[in-house]
Amino acid sequence: MMRLAGLAAFALIALTIGVGAGSVALPPGEVWSGLARADAPASLIVRNLRLPRALLAFLVGGGLGVCGAALQALVRNPLADPYLLGLSGGAGLGAVLAIAARPGSGWPVPLAAFVGAMAAVVLVYRLSVVSGRRLDPRVLLLAGVVVGAFASAVMSAVIVLSDAPQLRNAFLWLLGGFTASSWQTLGLFVVYSVIPFAMLFALARSLDLLALGEETALHLGTDVERAKRLVYVAASLLTAASVATSGIIGFVGLVVPHAVRRLWSPLHVALLPASFLAGGGFLVLADTLARTVIRPLELPVGVVTALVGVPLFAVLLRRNLA
Amino acid sequence: MGGAITILRPVPIFPERAFVFSALRWITAAAFTVGLGGCAAEPARGPIVVVDDAGDTVRLARPASRVASLIPATTELLFAMGRGGNVVGRTRWCDWPAAAARVPDLGDGIVPNLEAIAAVGPDLVLLYHSAQNAAAADRLRSLGMPVVQVRSDLLADVPRIAGLLGRLLGASAAADSLARTFDAELAAASVRPPSDPPRIFILVWEQPPITVGRGSYLSEIIERAGGRNVYADLPASSGQISVESVVARDPDAVFTSSDTIPGFARRPEWQAVRAVRDRRFIHASGSEFSRPGPRSPAAIGRLADRIRGLPR
Repeated sequence: MMRLAGLAAFALIALTIGVGAGSVALPPGEVWSGLARADAPASLIVRNLRLPRALLAFLVGGGLGVCGAALQALVRNPLADPYLLGLSGGAGLGAVLAIAARPGSGWPVPLAAFVGAMAAVVLVYRLSVVSGRRLDPRVLLLAGVVVGAFASAVMSAVIVLSDAPQLRNAFLWLLGGFTASSWQTLGLFVVYSVIPFAMLFALARSLDLLALGEETALHLGTDVERAKRLVYVAASLLTAASVATSGIIGFVGLVVPHAVRRLWSPLHVALLPASFLAGGGFLVLADTLARTVIRPLELPVGVVTALVGVPLFAVLLRRNLA
Repeated sequence: MGGAITILRPVPIFPERAFVFSALRWITAAAFTVGLGGCAAEPARGPIVVVDDAGDTVRLARPASRVASLIPATTELLFAMGRGGNVVGRTRWCDWPAAAARVPDLGDGIVPNLEAIAAVGPDLVLLYHSAQNAAAADRLRSLGMPVVQVRSDLLADVPRIAGLLGRLLGASAAADSLARTFDAELAAASVRPPSDPPRIFILVWEQPPITVGRGSYLSEIIERAGGRNVYADLPASSGQISVESVVARDPDAVFTSSDTIPGFARRPEWQAVRAVRDRRFIHASGSEFSRPGPRSPAAIGRLADRIRGLPR
């Protein structure tokens, strides 16, 4: 409990920094008055741009952390991350198709990415349901890799064959970022993600048992097949929504659950909320760095999560070995 | 930015007329020299030697007559010089003049298709100078095709590259006339910088938002049209920026390459920008706004009209 309270404090500090700092340097007093009063000069920036952006980054980071933790338990593979199941390839293909089809069709890029991600998820799921209704985690892993590779190949073909010179910018979108955050995007994400979040938190005990092995879980009285399917569906829905709002942000879903596991007990009842708070706080800080290090220019946030997250994680790995 | 002082209204150029004029000039020059006894129109004695933008020295035994022009800007220049007949290949992006459509399309200009180039048998290949093209340039040379690498990014490159092409094709008279016409039209189209110019935000891509800094053609033509790029302090020719910094810079209008109200204008986070809220856009589609060339003075003239028409 103490540890969770500590993480919650970390998340709050991260959010405060995320709202206080930005591509325009504002003194703390102005930030505060911008938050408190709608007619303050800084209120446009603080209330309409920074606050929804920081909150969205927090929710997306938390979602990626939770999905990573759940999927690592589901497939019992430490390399599992939210994009493993063909999601990134499918989302990329959807985004590229939407950009290539412009200006004829009015498909917005995020919606197309979401549809692409869900199509990949359905395909992977169909491939992994073997012998009746059993979901085989090993086949799930392989099907995810195969579908992802296929979608990437189609995406490259579209980029090479298309006449749209803007397509190279599709990569920038896929690299991830929160530039398009608003209260509306935040609201959409909240409404959408409540159910997958609730499902995953409710499945925490089943995940503990699954992590021990399917047979053990079965003996201990879990409906293994049902739990696996629910985890898969919930994690996919949540990841697809985060891809649609902010592109593909690597390393959060991989590194955060491992880091939390190394510092705490591996029980999912604690691991999931801890991954949520740690992932959220981490992504808010990463996005703040992305907005401020080369201002007024911005870095893609995925670049920052990898640059900062990977060395941090390497240190953590070494420390636990010693 | 030497905005030339002009009391004239910006003169729209008529590319077709410039084309006919320079073609006529070239024909009369040729006829004249033939009349004088058939010596060449240009001093073609000995090989032609130029140093290109990659720093390579290129030697041609005789003026090039079959040119693979893999840069849209050089295709425009060659046609404007009246040498469109010598262009045997172009990129798929070469959309001006209309006559260029009849030239074989060799594909992309950056990382070009070597087989397609070899198939048209050029005696000169014009390639955009960039790191991605270095390998292709070496390969083309080893296949026996002379390569000239050119960087065509800014207004000042137009007369410079015209001169280079004139030497390579033995068409210096046409090139010089084109360069003079261009300089005169540019001076006429450029607006004297106002003391308080309208501040323009150039949005080249919506998501993520990407703008261009002072080292870019768009920034250059906007300044010459009497506007000021709000991101002129950026040294990078292009970069990703956040909506927050656009709010802080509070531009008077947004430059966009779409003909209609762009999609981002309806997104809630952009409503924080006054110019977007008030729907103050400068619409400028058309490739003359994306690359320097003979049409640049006309592009500046049109921009100047729109910038002058902004409510102040």
